[in-house]
Amino acid sequence: MGLEGNLPGGGTSAGTGGLFGAGSPTFLTSKVDFLVNWARRNSLWPMPFGTACCAIEMMAAFASDFDLSRFGMERMSFSPRQADVLICAGRVPYKLAPVLRRIWDQMPQPKWCVSMGACASSGGVFDVYSMVQGIDTIVPVDVYVPGCPPRPEGLIYGLMMIQEKIRQESLTEHKALREEDPLQVARPRASDEEVVGLTGPFGNSTRQEKISTGVRVAADQDSEDPIP
Amino acid sequence: MAQKTIEYAVGRTPEMGPDGRPTPSPLEPFDIPEPELDSEHMLINIGPQHPATHGVLRLVCELDGETVLNVTPHIGFLHSSFEKLGEYRTWNQIVPLTDRMDYLAPLIYNCAYVMAVEKLLGIEVTERAKVVRVILMELDRIFGHLLWLGTTAIDVGAFTPFLYTFEDRERIYRLHEAYTGGRITTSATRVGGMMADLPENWIAQLEDFLDSFPRTLAEVHRLLTNNQILIGRTQGIGAISAEDAVNFGFTGPNLRASGVAYDVRKDNPYYDYETYDFEVPIGENGDCYDRYLVRMEEMEQSVAILRQAIARLPEGPINVEDPSVSLPSKTDCMSDMESMIHHFKLITEGIKGPPGDCYFPVEASKGELGMYLVSDGGPKPVRWRVRPPSFVNISVISELARGHLIADLIMINASLDIVLGEIDR
Amino acid sequence: MSDEKKSGLDAVDEGPVPSDGSGPQAAGAPADKNDHPSVAALFERFGDAIRHHEVNAGDQHVVHIDPARNTEILGWLRDDPAHRYDLLADVTAVDYGGGQPLRVVYQLWSIPNRMGLRVKCLLPLDVLEIDSVVPLWNSANWLEREVYDLFGITFRGHPDLRRILMPHDYAEGHPLRKDFPLRGRFSRAEQTRRALNQDVDRFYIPAERALGREPQQVTFPSQTAPGPDEGSEGGA
Repeated sequence: MGLEGNLPGGGTSAGTGGLFGAGSPTFLTSKVDFLVNWARRNSLWPMPFGTACCAIEMMAAFASDFDLSRFGMERMSFSPRQADVLICAGRVPYKLAPVLRRIWDQMPQPKWCVSMGACASSGGVFDVYSMVQGIDTIVPVDVYVPGCPPRPEGLIYGLMMIQEKIRQESLTEHKALREEDPLQVARPRASDEEVVGLTGPFGNSTRQEKISTGVRVAADQDSEDPIP
Repeated sequence: MAQKTIEYAVGRTPEMGPDGRPTPSPLEPFDIPEPELDSEHMLINIGPQHPATHGVLRLVCELDGETVLNVTPHIGFLHSSFEKLGEYRTWNQIVPLTDRMDYLAPLIYNCAYVMAVEKLLGIEVTERAKVVRVILMELDRIFGHLLWLGTTAIDVGAFTPFLYTFEDRERIYRLHEAYTGGRITTSATRVGGMMADLPENWIAQLEDFLDSFPRTLAEVHRLLTNNQILIGRTQGIGAISAEDAVNFGFTGPNLRASGVAYDVRKDNPYYDYETYDFEVPIGENGDCYDRYLVRMEEMEQSVAILRQAIARLPEGPINVEDPSVSLPSKTDCMSDMESMIHHFKLITEGIKGPPGDCYFPVEASKGELGMYLVSDGGPKPVRWRVRPPSFVNISVISELARGHLIADLIMINASLDIVLGEIDR
Repeated sequence: MSDEKKSGLDAVDEGPVPSDGSGPQAAGAPADKNDHPSVAALFERFGDAIRHHEVNAGDQHVVHIDPARNTEILGWLRDDPAHRYDLLADVTAVDYGGGQPLRVVYQLWSIPNRMGLRVKCLLPLDVLEIDSVVPLWNSANWLEREVYDLFGITFRGHPDLRRILMPHDYAEGHPLRKDFPLRGRFSRAEQTRRALNQDVDRFYIPAERALGREPQQVTFPSQTAPGPDEGSEGGA
């Protein structure tokens, strides 16, 4: 927005104290917060990143019966450059992971992310070699919508939670919340240990221990193709 | 075989049409000489995240100006390794995987899978189960075609049909939900029958839907079939000859649009499809417009089949009376120790099948869906292979699109009716 | 299941093993070859190249043929006017594990005669090569690529044999083989790191890169230069 730095009490100039107080919300900042958040939360432009079954429910949510435009989201933005909310609907294989990350990096701040469905949130039933076990290892997620797939009402509720989250945001803490290290663009969001911890197997098709044994953590020895 | 050639409401030459008005014809390029330009070919990347690719398909096109010289489809962006996962699951546990494969017509996949298992195990399901499965499969054929219709209409610039078709899809969602509890992920079938009998009043709701649905279809026909934009963008676009279509492995509406009357329901019938009175619509030119017309007609035929199936729906049990396959009723499990043990054993050990393999094709909404199962006599398959109709259909896209404009590539892709969950599996 | 055998839950890392002592070889009832006109004709014409004939699942005829002569036999099945198997519905492979040969399975269907036939070729694990049938049926193109990708069987004479479902720099092997663990060979952290490696080479095959120009220079505060606008139509 470019707004934060110029605000009293906000941004980097906050340390000097000043007319409106330092760091803590004041009369003026809270009014500006209210106005900005009101505008932001009622005209969200979702970027639908739909891959599988959840995308069909997302389409149902956009169609006439459920009608997301009641919440200010009739403008689906297929371009990440003009989007506020990334709705990741459906399973994300590793082959698609760089695409998701690239789209997230291309979205301008402020931005939010909804992980729709069990597969996007945790891998779901697909605890297999090709699937990302939860997109939170790749992009930061604000709201997880459970279900396989979630009903359109579930998605709408998730988006209303995003709106609630925006309502409580304040410009004074904006910088700290939204700062991104440019060097970390397109890098895994979570550390190796976090990824292994987050993606530990669970569910009924596999053993219940957290980390499976016999799997090479490092890739120092390039697995040679068993077939010449 | 009963066949039907589509009567064209619009002619193919700019003459007077049946309604007395001059019929529109596709746009012809202007006849101007090609200027001598120092030009080079261009590489355009479409997808994998693009609203017009109907999923996470990626097309890399080589263009000369706007003309497509070559298209390389890249798939696998939704590879969820269903087939590997199936090797770790018992026969019944695979059912929930099947509806996540084709989420546009899940019940066809549920039914096709258990039909293959039953064929392998040599189980003959009850008459009622057969008719119920025919009803569910035809209902989902409409379900799948409706989504195709709505999204294809968007691709040629018409948004309204999308809203109309989703209106009717919501009705089918409600029917799904009333029976199975899920809107998309139905998982309705079990080896040897269904997870439950049809609920009360369900048939009445289905009849309600069948009464109102032809009106929606007629409305979409009015919006699109004679629409000059649709005709201009589809006639003569992406045509393929009958011989090529067979050689490239086309099945389903895509093949029939080229004039080959191959429908698994007629040629290799299952569940007494030969006793239902319905016609297989076939096209003449194999272009996008014919594929559109064939699907529109198929929906009407599905309505006819549904009405006949409702009329003949017999009473009786829905699951086979075979304790090695069917679970005891929940009431028995709660009151009778033997039934409880029986239930427990079937769930934990699974059903054992004979060693051997089995390929079972059914006519899905996208084409011939084959389930190939290999068993070694255990409760889990050695190999569960799905013959995906969209996978084979989409592989032809570079042949279809060559020489057309890049805007036509979008229409060709839409007319093939693909679903990426099944292409990538 | 006996105790020393691994059940499905324990076999996740090593891959499943045959679940029954009878073994996968026991398959199919011995059948009269005259039940199926094409099978009888195959035995008559090709003799010892037809290794075995069985009937599975009641009425499905399976013919095992010599893998060295697959194009000859399949071509004859396609072209002979009495058989005309013009639709190659499916090409796939089956791995039984335990060092047994891989089976390449062709599902044939004759639209004019309304007959189906399944043809299998056994490939020992040390010679995973077979002639491609793309010259006969174009539908085999992607199906054979998929078999190559997931099983590692090489199809000689295939016009464009490269990975299709997995990324083409996938380094963990061929996933549908029985010795491939369900969660892959690398840890999740390594898989994530490899997946997010944004290198242009990963997204374009050599033929496309030869045609495309250098990616446009954009100022990007990262060492990894972004490729052409992969995956973002809006940015393009």
